[in-house]
Amino acid sequence: MSEALVVLKDVNKHFGDLHVLKDITLEVGRGEVVILIGPSGSGKSTLCRTINRLETFESGSITIDGKALPEEGKELAALRADVGMVFQSFNLFAHKTILENVTLGPIKVRGMKKADAEKRATELLERVGVAHQAQKYPAQLSGGQQQRVAIARSLAMDPKVMLFDEPTSALDPEMITEVLDVMVELAKSGMTMIVVTHEMGFARKAANRVVFLSDGQIVEENTPEEFFTNPRSDRAKDFLGKILTH
Amino acid sequence: MGDIIGNYDILGAFWVTIQLSVLSALGSLVIGTVLAVFRVSPVRVLRALGAFYVNVLRNTPLTLLMVFSILGMSIILGLQLSQDQARDSYWWAVIMLSVYHAAFVCEAIRSGVNTIPAGQAEAARSIGLTFGQSMREVLLPQAFRGAIAPLGSTLIALIKNTTVAAVILGTAEAAGLLAQITENEGASLPTFFLFALGFVILTLPIGLAVTSLSRRLAVKR
Repeated sequence: MSEALVVLKDVNKHFGDLHVLKDITLEVGRGEVVILIGPSGSGKSTLCRTINRLETFESGSITIDGKALPEEGKELAALRADVGMVFQSFNLFAHKTILENVTLGPIKVRGMKKADAEKRATELLERVGVAHQAQKYPAQLSGGQQQRVAIARSLAMDPKVMLFDEPTSALDPEMITEVLDVMVELAKSGMTMIVVTHEMGFARKAANRVVFLSDGQIVEENTPEEFFTNPRSDRAKDFLGKILTH
Repeated sequence: MGDIIGNYDILGAFWVTIQLSVLSALGSLVIGTVLAVFRVSPVRVLRALGAFYVNVLRNTPLTLLMVFSILGMSIILGLQLSQDQARDSYWWAVIMLSVYHAAFVCEAIRSGVNTIPAGQAEAARSIGLTFGQSMREVLLPQAFRGAIAPLGSTLIALIKNTTVAAVILGTAEAAGLLAQITENEGASLPTFFLFALGFVILTLPIGLAVTSLSRRLAVKR
């Protein structure tokens, strides 16, 4: 068996006195879809952001495709190019059109020709269903559309793995579905994904594994079906009891 | 009044004022942008350097800088920018105006950078842009749009501050010429108002343009 794509070993992080990540050890294989779930403040978003070093960590190691995460500079930029990131607040470049948002990375980082990048971007925008909005600016699109563009922007870099940090938490219910549909399709296509989300339906449909965090620790790992119907730890039972009651 | 307009090259003096303004505006924009990048960079030494520059230059009177340029740099240290003394003064005036206003330009742009949500920089880094690329492609273009109003104020201040250059330029620009006319012909309100009007003509359109530009170019979020 080849080595896992993303390997975290004994990762520790503090925010001042708060120990937000405690000895996190986690492996994510190629093509695997892993859900990070847990109460607010459990460190799941921090963990997700640590994987492409938007957050630093103090001890432990993170490797992606066998390469240790560089601390800074050009090597770090090069690694980030291979790790897609989708944010809760979309973070599309506000002064650029939808098309420019998707082509910026390929042109500047991958050195692609503008025409090729635009062709590829248009294909990706079609795939996520917003190609007809290509010339508009982010503020002119709905939240769901913006988030799908953000996914296309990440995909344009041909990432090895994609990180999703609560991608549907800032969306209206009807828009959540359109974003989740794109994510399910992406999971089916074999993309390696690490997703922070509370969307149980998505987890059941697309995930291979659910990782439950609480107080900065991994408390439980299981298949989605097992985790949601038959949680083993008390903390997971308590958490699921709270989010499933309504 | 007619005599004064006939005997003195008022338009020529204002032309020098405009030259000083344009050249110094460009100079201060370039230096100020570099300083702003220093001040938001991840390298501590650069941040300290930027802060030091801004605090020193912003708190030094422009008159002092002007006098220092000619007495200190040109005469004592022998750093002459031209054999011709008038040209030497002219270029020193441009440099000192640029260097002085760069501190204000830097702070205007830095405040523009600070209005950009943190997510923009995170997204830029996440697609693999280096610090320089994030600055050029994502942060500075948005910062400039957000900083148009304070940059406009700085430009207007710069145009009026060119009058300080009279201390080293003599009668070449508007304020110097006004002083000479006053000395030769006696003080007169109409002459004074004529020069004041000249500055209003230079600065008022900038204020109006800045207001409309900042509205039109605002980044919609």
